[in-house]
Amino acid sequence: METIYTLFLLASLLSIALYKKPLWAHRLGFALASLFSLYAAIFFFSHLGETLVWKLPGSFISAPTFRLDSLGMLFSFLISVVAFAVSLFSLDYARFYEKKANLAAFASLMNAFILSMLLVVASDGVFSFMLLWEVMTLISALLILINDGEGASKKAMIYLGIAQLGAFCLMVALLVMASLAGSFEFSEFGRLDISEGASIALFLLLLVGLGSKAGMFPFHVWLPLAYGQCPSNASALMSGVMIKVALFAFIKFSLLLPLSSTFGYILLLFGGLSVLFGVLYAVVANDYKAAIAYSSCENVGIIFLGLGAAFYGIGENLPVVALLGFVAALFHILNHALFKSLLFMLSGNLYTATGSKEMDSLGGIHKKMPFTSILFLVAVLAIGALPPLNGFASEWVTYQAMLQGGVEEGIAPRLFFTFGIIALAVGGALAIMAFSKAYGALFLGLPRDEAIYEGIQEVSSIRLWPLAFLASLCVGLGIFMGEVVSLLSTMVASYIPTANAEDASTLSMPLVVLVMLLCAVVPFVLLYITKANHAPIRVTEPWACGFIYNKNMQIGSNAFTGDIRRALRFLLRYESESKMEGYFSRVTYKKKARDLFWDRLYEPVISWVMEAADKIGIFQNGRTNLYAGYILVYLCLVLIFGYYHL
Amino acid sequence: MSFFYLLLQLIAALMVAPLFDGMARKLRARFQSRVGPSIFQTYRDLFKLLKRGRTKSHSTSFIYTLSPYLLFVSAAAIFCLLPITYGVDSPLAGISDIFVLLYLSALFRFVFIIAGFDTANPFAGVGSSREATIGFYSEAVIIISLVVVMLGAGNSNLPVIVEAVRAGEYGYLIPSYAIASTAFLWVMYVETARKPYDLAEAEQELQEGVLGEYCGKDLAIIDMALMLKQFSMLGFFLIVFEPWGMGHSILSLLLFLVEVGVLYVLAVFIDNFGPRFTMNKGVRITMLFPFSIACLALMLYVIGV
Repeated sequence: METIYTLFLLASLLSIALYKKPLWAHRLGFALASLFSLYAAIFFFSHLGETLVWKLPGSFISAPTFRLDSLGMLFSFLISVVAFAVSLFSLDYARFYEKKANLAAFASLMNAFILSMLLVVASDGVFSFMLLWEVMTLISALLILINDGEGASKKAMIYLGIAQLGAFCLMVALLVMASLAGSFEFSEFGRLDISEGASIALFLLLLVGLGSKAGMFPFHVWLPLAYGQCPSNASALMSGVMIKVALFAFIKFSLLLPLSSTFGYILLLFGGLSVLFGVLYAVVANDYKAAIAYSSCENVGIIFLGLGAAFYGIGENLPVVALLGFVAALFHILNHALFKSLLFMLSGNLYTATGSKEMDSLGGIHKKMPFTSILFLVAVLAIGALPPLNGFASEWVTYQAMLQGGVEEGIAPRLFFTFGIIALAVGGALAIMAFSKAYGALFLGLPRDEAIYEGIQEVSSIRLWPLAFLASLCVGLGIFMGEVVSLLSTMVASYIPTANAEDASTLSMPLVVLVMLLCAVVPFVLLYITKANHAPIRVTEPWACGFIYNKNMQIGSNAFTGDIRRALRFLLRYESESKMEGYFSRVTYKKKARDLFWDRLYEPVISWVMEAADKIGIFQNGRTNLYAGYILVYLCLVLIFGYYHL
Repeated sequence: MSFFYLLLQLIAALMVAPLFDGMARKLRARFQSRVGPSIFQTYRDLFKLLKRGRTKSHSTSFIYTLSPYLLFVSAAAIFCLLPITYGVDSPLAGISDIFVLLYLSALFRFVFIIAGFDTANPFAGVGSSREATIGFYSEAVIIISLVVVMLGAGNSNLPVIVEAVRAGEYGYLIPSYAIASTAFLWVMYVETARKPYDLAEAEQELQEGVLGEYCGKDLAIIDMALMLKQFSMLGFFLIVFEPWGMGHSILSLLLFLVEVGVLYVLAVFIDNFGPRFTMNKGVRITMLFPFSIACLALMLYVIGV
């Protein structure tokens, strides 16, 4: 495994060294990245279930150890698979940013980003973990700035602000845990022996620390900002893999605490809320990248629902619930990494081809970009959890886990598990709405803006093959869910001593496909028997009830969600703007959904902090004499304190 | 053998669904003091459509060509997964699962929506939007009622639930189940697309708006798919809440078809006397009733009765 890390480091250094020749550097950097991540994927997959340890040679402050157990191996595999597709895609895609940034830096940052994620997963000490964690955050913030433009630095600052809040909580939690365990190595933590109140406090710190990075509600506000601004290959890595690293750390650290059923309830509550709010904002978004970003919040919610069931199961000593919950969470992590990175890269294809992020100015793109469109359809079917694709497979396991938990006696488990199931199902209905709208408004119908439509061209094949690879994985993992579940459950069973890997129930997806195929034959037989009219189809204008058809009559993304926005208006806020220049001129009307939690939760805090900073600001007037005075006062205080207390 | 019964179940439903539709149309006409068409009119309509030529909008893509078949596949798969002619011991019992059914109907809805976008027809777009919104409303009630049943029976597998209800281990003696059945029947009525929620008769109307651009054999297949979906939705209610069995596959199938048919025709009583609602007033407010009934059932389950 050290070879892989060294190779990525080399690739990163090599591409930054060639910064004078950015085009060469980016080709070399991304080609090396895809080669190395392919090798890494094969390596990690062949070592699934083993434990590898590597100690950094020499003394580097402390001597950090890197340890991959079977869970870490699975996540490393996931990172490498997605990184392979993303870096192959970037070979051509990155050239779109030629004018905005030095491509050598871009390639180097991407390599470093992949490396930092792999190292975070492997690191086994508190200090190396925190250091690499911050490095990962910083590199991702720099990747946001690659697409420099209006508001880019503000978005990066919001992302960094929330990440720092999280990192602070995480640091406190880890230091407390380390001091309780008497060691800074995670593998020597053992299971901590602390009271329930203390463990809940630590758990909440971990949840804030890692949930904020994972995009959990109410920390989801950075998702649309950061992912919308990022180049799409970077947002594919961030959304597909980086938030999975946070989830990995969450699973790893909370398993060190003595688990009780309360942990399960907390996760079920936040998971359900993330599902509902994430998908609600995805429905009302008119910007396709924002819709995809918000759906990350939804999917993190689904993963938390699975984890909630798992923690409840461990706390109450119900091995079947625990096993199913973990399998569901891991399976959904795997699936989400695949289809979300696929969706982000497809949105990158769309953006480079059209230059617009508004669904209301696009339309009918299928005719110009058929391959992108079909891949988008597969991704949308997967993310909408439609059978027989992989999103459905993992949601089904999640449902089973929550059902097993909800049957237990007692009001609390029943309340939280039914809430989880209902949130997931309602979120599913809204996800269908959000993504059918996205696919319909972007690819189907007639173009809404001719000027954009004329210039659209299908992207090159190097930007389609890696995506086709991910899409085929989405289909494959869905149909062969039985195999995946049994693989994951043997892995999980090694973590839960009481569980039996054969308890994980699966659905026979090939049989579902078979029934669907059987049903597909029926209409053709019917058409044959009844000797239907197979005459070629005549092409006309769309029918508009006798009026002359105009393409503005077709429904847009904004109008499509009109009814639901009216029904749920207590949860949504808008910025609407209408411009009318003259009586006969065209009226422009814009409506944009605002994030309620940004307005209600973040704005007040930010304005309070700004005000406080202003008040404190009077102490910092830049005069050296005054600063010397502060030091003097401080020294006096220390002397007085020392005199009386020591 | 089980696949033979599966096909039999599907084909039997396809054969009789137009008959019940014809009866419903006749009954509605009689209510409105019209003579009405013959009860075999729906068959004639379908045959006529199969023979007609077709036109399509110039905006359409492969979705237009595929969607009739996709709609048919999802509706037919839903119907096949209802355990009418088979029980727990069949190899198909494993996939006859409530979540599979729900997500297949989500697939139906998804195809319906994008088919509406594809034609660029203004009515189709509004129809799609409405379908999605109604889907959101009904999904909440459906899942709350079904959660009560699934958790009560401890399983999401339909044949297992049917077995438990038939054996009397679980059933109307439990208040939460009884209350959930009311809410579920209400939404199943909504899902069959009738007044006051919808009126699937004329193209300019809401649900059928999506089909405005479809004609000829495509429309015939979609019509069959819609009828099949309405049948499966009523059947879903019957399987979960009224699982009468005859012990023999063919007899059970006959009994089931008669039951669904009767429900389908009886729905005309509500349909004919109901007013028409606008989407954001009437539908939203009336959907609050089944929603609160379902929540009541859920509360009863949570406190343990």
